[in-house]
Formats: sequence, structure tokens, C-alpha cells
Amino acid sequence: MAKKNKEVTRRQFIRFGAMTAIGIGAIGAGAGYLSTKDTTNGENMLRPPGAIANDDFMYACIKCGLCVQICPIDAVKLADFTQGLSYGTPYLDVREQACDFSCGAMQCVETCPTAALDFIQFKVKGEEAITKYEQEHPNDHDFNIIAVQLPAMHAHTKMGVAVLNTDTCLAAKGKGLKGAPRDESCKGVYASPEDVKKGLSPYPVHEHIFDRPICNICVTDCPIGETAIIFENNLPKVLDGCTGCGVCTMICPTEGPSITIKKV
Amino acid sequence: MFGKKGKNVQPLPAKRRDEMPNVKEGLTFKQWKAKHAPTHKWRNKRWAVLILLNTLFWASFFFDISVLEGSLSGSRFFGIYLMDIFNSLQQILIGIRTGHFAMLTMNFFIGLGVIITFYFLVGGRTFCSWICPYHFLAENAEKLHNWLVKKKKIKEHNYAIGVKYIAFVMFLLLALLTKQLVFEDMNPVGIISRSIIYGPSVLLLWVLALLLFEIFHTKRFWCRYVCPMGVAYSAVGTITPTSVKFDLDKCGHCRDCQDVCLVPHELWFVKRGEATKEVHFTGADCTRCGLCVDTCYGGALKITVKGVEKLL
Repeated sequence: MAKKNKEVTRRQFIRFGAMTAIGIGAIGAGAGYLSTKDTTNGENMLRPPGAIANDDFMYACIKCGLCVQICPIDAVKLADFTQGLSYGTPYLDVREQACDFSCGAMQCVETCPTAALDFIQFKVKGEEAITKYEQEHPNDHDFNIIAVQLPAMHAHTKMGVAVLNTDTCLAAKGKGLKGAPRDESCKGVYASPEDVKKGLSPYPVHEHIFDRPICNICVTDCPIGETAIIFENNLPKVLDGCTGCGVCTMICPTEGPSITIKKV
Repeated sequence: MFGKKGKNVQPLPAKRRDEMPNVKEGLTFKQWKAKHAPTHKWRNKRWAVLILLNTLFWASFFFDISVLEGSLSGSRFFGIYLMDIFNSLQQILIGIRTGHFAMLTMNFFIGLGVIITFYFLVGGRTFCSWICPYHFLAENAEKLHNWLVKKKKIKEHNYAIGVKYIAFVMFLLLALLTKQLVFEDMNPVGIISRSIIYGPSVLLLWVLALLLFEIFHTKRFWCRYVCPMGVAYSAVGTITPTSVKFDLDKCGHCRDCQDVCLVPHELWFVKRGEATKEVHFTGADCTRCGLCVDTCYGGALKITVKGVEKLL
């Protein structure tokens, strides 16, 4: 009887030991896998407009994906575990699809229930712009509120800032651009400021046809305009007004974009 | 809260033979059971709701119809926000620590209010069996587990049901200390929900590992002993009008209901000589799944809404 009991104990011990080993092995494999990935909690990820500081963003975002769902041009994507610890949080891959503000009213920000994308700051900026307009135009009583409010809201966005690589930039080499900036492998869509004036909705990058003696499409098609980027001394020059929306990165014709977005 | 009887309450005397429902019908126990064969009425309804809702989440994104947007951690149903309770609780706690609480939107509180009101009305862990996609998998894994136990391939492992309250507090503390939604990173419910809606994730392997553990080792390990989402929903649904009503008079004490029940401790009163009252109601851990109702030969178990049943 005693022997039998001992046997059971030994068997249990071996089983317990094996399970512990498997458990530790699984955790180790997981940790090892993660260490090869971005373990910085997505600090270097470009977030949608209005994202609060990354440390706060990581808990404020409940990973519901409402921002992903509402984006009309599918610019907002959900990170997978392969992108590290920021699993389930939204990010932008601007080379694939930039945020061209074509939804109008910062819908991803407005939809966020936990203020990981904080809408209040935009609301305040919009109201400030309206007050300022009313003071400057005391006789204009039926102005288009949205047309006054939106540019101020867009300008307040700070996802990142564009950085130019003069080694590869076509303009720096004095080259022009004929035809579409990117081939059909690029699925991105956008509407340039001129398209917006014509009332066009976003359409594929490869359907935007240019004929420029010196390539300057990042300047002319910037949704923010001359407060963000200008053409100076035959080179695009990024100014303080850049919002990091990434349209320039998306439409840059060089293989490996000459203008990229750095997170700020 | 723990679905147990009061301490100093004496159970009613056990039924005499002539009080048994089969004797009243003039049948032997076997004949009586054969006459009232179990159905799958509630289970079919429940699975239909579960699959429909999760499909609706997927369809809302895939076809861009604004019906049920978001995922199970936070969503919008025809424009009305819905917030998961445990997720919101973590959010509020960390928010109070860091000051983010003041920034939380009105939609957040409306969503939380709607969910709390709804689960107060339907009671218990209704979320689990009627909506949770992990439950759907685990429920079927449980059947496999039971079959393996029956074939004597594996042994049962049961722990104290109260472990989940410790896990609940631990996950809250972890969230507060690390300022991260630690639970959400390993939450199979969120992982499956997001995988259905936004495309499969590598983390489904973790869900698979959990399921295998539940099949071959501990029955319903995650749902019973870990899941703080379930604890949060059961806390809201502790005092509720909706629950499973037990009628001692109609009970034959066969205890088949406890065999199919996903939380058998909630049906403690079906054992012969245990019931302390003529009528009992299931407690907070009951998922209102209706499996016991489908099984019951004497119709002693019914899903009821207090107040409404008198009106009908």
C-alpha cells in the first residue's frame, strides 16, 4: 500500500514538473519572440490624430477598433501581436494609406469613447477659430462655420513631422515627374486640395496624373498647404505647420519614400 | 453572491415517495424521464443569438453598415455606445491615478451605464453564455473534456470557485500598478472578438493553448477561475429580476440539470434534502444559459422575470 502511494506521488511529481516546464517554456518562447519585436510599447508608431502621450495612450486605448471602423479611407489600422506589445492599438502606415483629412471632422477622434484620441483639444481650437473669425468679420453673419472650424482643427493635429531625404528626392536631383507617382501596387487613396475644391472624393494614388518639370507634388498636394510645406530653392521645405498626416510620404514617387514622417 | 444557502437555515425535509413527480403521474422514474425527454430549445436560441451578434460585429465592419461597430471591449449599437464593465473599471482606476479620468467622454459613461442597466435586468453572467465567443468554444471544449473523463482518459481537477475573485483583484491591481490594460492583452474574449472583426491574430494560438488546457486538464479553467469580465458581469447581475426559478414540488432530484450546468454550484438546491425553501432562484454565477431548463423532466426549472410572470 505504501509503495503504491509513493508511486502515485512520483507520477504526480513528474506530471507537475512536466507541466511547469511546459509553462515556463511557453512564457520563455513568448518573451523571446517579443524581444525580437518592438518592445517599446509602440512609441515609434504613428498614431491617429489627437492621440495622447504614448504612456497614457497604452492604457486609455481599450482596443475596441471604433476608430478603425469609422475611417472612410481605411488609414487607421489595428496592430497585431507581431508588432509587439502594442497589440490591438490603432496606428497609421502612411506609405500605404495616409490620413488626408477627407473625413472632414476628425471622425476617429470624435468616436473614441475613452479619449485616447482626445477630441476636446480640437473642439476648443475650432471654437477659437470661429470666435476669431467673428471678431475679424463683424458684418458676416451667415458664414460657413464648418469651413472656418475645420482648417483650424486640422492644423492643430500633430501626428509627426515630415523629414526630407535630399539624397533621393527627385527635386534635389533636378528631375521632374510625368504620369502617376506610384504604380497600382499602392492601394492608397487621397484627394488633393484642388480635388477637394472640385468636390471630388478621394481616389487612388495611381490615378493622380502629373506633369511637372521639377517634382513638387508633395508641396502642391499637401492637405494643410503653405503653413506645412513650401517649395524653396528647388527643394521642398517642411515648416512648423506640418501635421504628419503622411500624404507626402504616400505619394512620393521614389522607391523608398524621400520624405518620411518622424513621430514627435 | 456565492449562490449558497444561508448559514442557519435548516433544509426542508426530504421528499417522500408519494411526493415525487413521477409517482404523482403514476409512472416509474424511468418512464417519467422518457416521457419528458430533454430538448435543445434554449441552447439553440442562445447559440443563434451568440452567432448572430458576433456576425453582426463582423458584418458591420466588412460591409460598412453602422449597426454594431467596434468590438466586445467597446462598441456602438445604432449609435448608442456600449462599454465592457471590467475594461471600464480598469480605465477608471488608472484614470483616477493619472488624471485621465477627467478626459473620459460622455459616451464612455453612457455606454457603461447602458451595459450596467442591461446586465442588471438580465442578471448573472448572461454575457458569458449569450454573447461571449470564447464561451462558445469553451462550452464545446467542456463536452469533449467530459467525454474524456467518462472514457477515463483524464482526471477531473477542481479548485475553489472563489479563485476568480482573487484573479479579479489581481488584474485590477496589475492595471493600476503598470498603467497598462494587462488583462486585455491576454483576454481571449477580446482576442477572438478582434480576430473575427479585423482579421485573425497570432494571439489566437494563446486561445488555442487555453482551450487545450481546458480540454485535457482543468474543465473551464479560464471562465471559472480566472475571467474577471465574468466576475464584473456577475457583480452587476447579483440582484436582478431575471433568473432561473426552481420549484421544489416538481423536482425529481435526478440531478441531470447539474450534469449539464456550466456552473453546477449554482444548482445546489436540486440535491435531495438540500433545498431550504419551496422556491429557489439561481445566483450571480448563473449564466442564464437555459441548459438546465431544457433538461428538466418535471419542468421544475424555468427562466423567469420577477414581476413580469405575474402580469402574464
